[in-house]
Amino acid sequence: MIRVLNFFCVALMGLSILALYHVSERTRVTQMSLTKVNHQIHEARGTIGVLQAEWARVAGPGRIQELAQLHGMHDTTSAQLASFDLLPRRGEAPLNNSPLRNASAVVPSSQAVHPTLSPQPISIQTGF
Amino acid sequence: MREIPGVFQRRIIIGAVFCVAAFALVGIRLVDVSLMRGTGRSGFADRAITARADLVDRNGELLARDLPVKDLYARPHVFWDKNEAAHDLALATGANEGRLRAGFLNAKHPYVLIARQVTPAVESKVMRLGLPGLEFEPSVKRYYPDGRNAAQLLGATDPDNNGVSGLEMGLQDHIRAAEDGAQVTTSIDMRVQFILAHEIAAQRQTFGAHAAGGIVMDVKTGEVLAMASLPDFDPNARSLSGEDTMRNIMSQDVYELGSVFKIFTFAQAFEDHRMNLDEVFPIGQGYKIGKYTIHEAEHMPATLAARDILAQSSNIGTSQIALRAGGVRQRQFLEHLGLLSPIKTELPEHRQGLYPSNWGAIETATVAFGQGISVSPLRFVASAASIVNGGREITPTFIKTDADRRGAQLIRPETSQQMRDLLRYVVTNGTGKNANVEGYDVGGKTGSAQVPGEHGRYIPHALRTSFFAAFPIENPRYIVFVLMDQPHGIKATGGFALAGYTAAPLAGRVISRIAPLLGVPNTAPPTRLADGNS
Repeated sequence: MIRVLNFFCVALMGLSILALYHVSERTRVTQMSLTKVNHQIHEARGTIGVLQAEWARVAGPGRIQELAQLHGMHDTTSAQLASFDLLPRRGEAPLNNSPLRNASAVVPSSQAVHPTLSPQPISIQTGF
Repeated sequence: MREIPGVFQRRIIIGAVFCVAAFALVGIRLVDVSLMRGTGRSGFADRAITARADLVDRNGELLARDLPVKDLYARPHVFWDKNEAAHDLALATGANEGRLRAGFLNAKHPYVLIARQVTPAVESKVMRLGLPGLEFEPSVKRYYPDGRNAAQLLGATDPDNNGVSGLEMGLQDHIRAAEDGAQVTTSIDMRVQFILAHEIAAQRQTFGAHAAGGIVMDVKTGEVLAMASLPDFDPNARSLSGEDTMRNIMSQDVYELGSVFKIFTFAQAFEDHRMNLDEVFPIGQGYKIGKYTIHEAEHMPATLAARDILAQSSNIGTSQIALRAGGVRQRQFLEHLGLLSPIKTELPEHRQGLYPSNWGAIETATVAFGQGISVSPLRFVASAASIVNGGREITPTFIKTDADRRGAQLIRPETSQQMRDLLRYVVTNGTGKNANVEGYDVGGKTGSAQVPGEHGRYIPHALRTSFFAAFPIENPRYIVFVLMDQPHGIKATGGFALAGYTAAPLAGRVISRIAPLLGVPNTAPPTRLADGNS
């Protein structure tokens, strides 16, 4: 009886060691994959941050003005038809059904302005 | 009496001890794996990659952000040819070759810093060199998407990412304390900031001014929506070139602002009931006070009504009004408005104004029209806001707030109303005509001050022009203040460089562009529409 119990205990110990090794390995592998995922998240966040900064740069009013002037557009004397608060911000709903959509106006003649800013791609500024 | 255990029993006990120890180890390991290790790194992905929080404008547009870069170090003892390595690394990173060579040849230094804040582009250049012993340490670099537009206002950070000027320094605690992913929302409106900076740059170029600047402020919340100062600098370049400067002339410098100061003289006269707007004052060719004579900047009629003294910006008339109350009362009134104290905001750059130590009659007269007293433009704007916002104290802020932050009553509301009417009169009938914008009821005042030179004497023909505007003047919401340092007259202005020709039109153009963006209703008759819509 004692031998059986002994054998059982030893077998249980062996199985436990195997199970422990298995759990340990699984943990190690999971840990590695978690570290990898964390690293990927870290890199992705970095990339998102860079892209958001780049978007802020290219969609900024200075850049838009540069491009507008590059394509021959000038500042115009504006005719205020409605509050700017009624216009959707970037990413919000389009102007469907808005009374602003169909509005058009004859505005006074435009005044030419002198460009004061030169285009400079973000890659030059940041190296990204 | 206990029996001594036999051989088998001892083996069983030893075996049991081993089993218990093994199970204990298994248990400890399970607890370690499942509980201890499990929590140790779970937060890693959530940690922000940035050491400083983003700065955003009042509409959530990005103003400043940390971008991931790397610091480059070298272990020079593994280089085969240290001189060549120094040469190649200097070419790739822009570092000083001499410094690198000295560092590499100095045996005391196991590690040598090659360059900080190396961007991915430079990193790939370095990697292509194929040098051994290079190490890249993760770091961050502060990036400003709008570049020069708000350079002095936002300020800059040092290589250790600590704010060294502007809001980067002033809001350092907010920026550092912000939780991961949180942003610090400023009062700045980048649309307004761009328009202000753009218009000021264009006008500065047109008139060849040494420097120029401007401020747009909400008179009720005290929020500064925009502040521009030229010349400026590129905050992304980390070095100054040409005329670039980090100096913010709107908060860091003090100026004799000239005739815009007359609004305080008139406000004081209204407050003390010492003047009637229709009262006529003699002007003439000069006004003698002791051994000094006060002159006008432009030719004036022999007499002027009080309202026209402000509208035509008469120094002689304003001096007479100020002298009625005297220097003691004038000083007390200006002190009450805060003009004799430095202004404290989130912006770290501020400076104490300069004012006469001996406040006699001549000083009273000159201070009345803005000479002999120097304040920073930001200080002036804060005090001038109290004149038009119902007479209540307001402190500028650079943090977004929607609350009415007006404080103590500094002047009577009736005085504020009278001043608003008078400022409108200046724009419709006086020197501020070029600032008029149809539909937005601009009120304002011009200022053309003489510029002191190195030896305390005024520089001949040099002017510092400014314009203070509030709109809509009936119930003002915003102030626009612009300043030009030593503009030169041009053919289109008949050679004149007075504020009415330089600063006033600049303020008008700024208002015409920002008012629609800020939702200020246009009271002009409806524009004729192409298809009959209205």
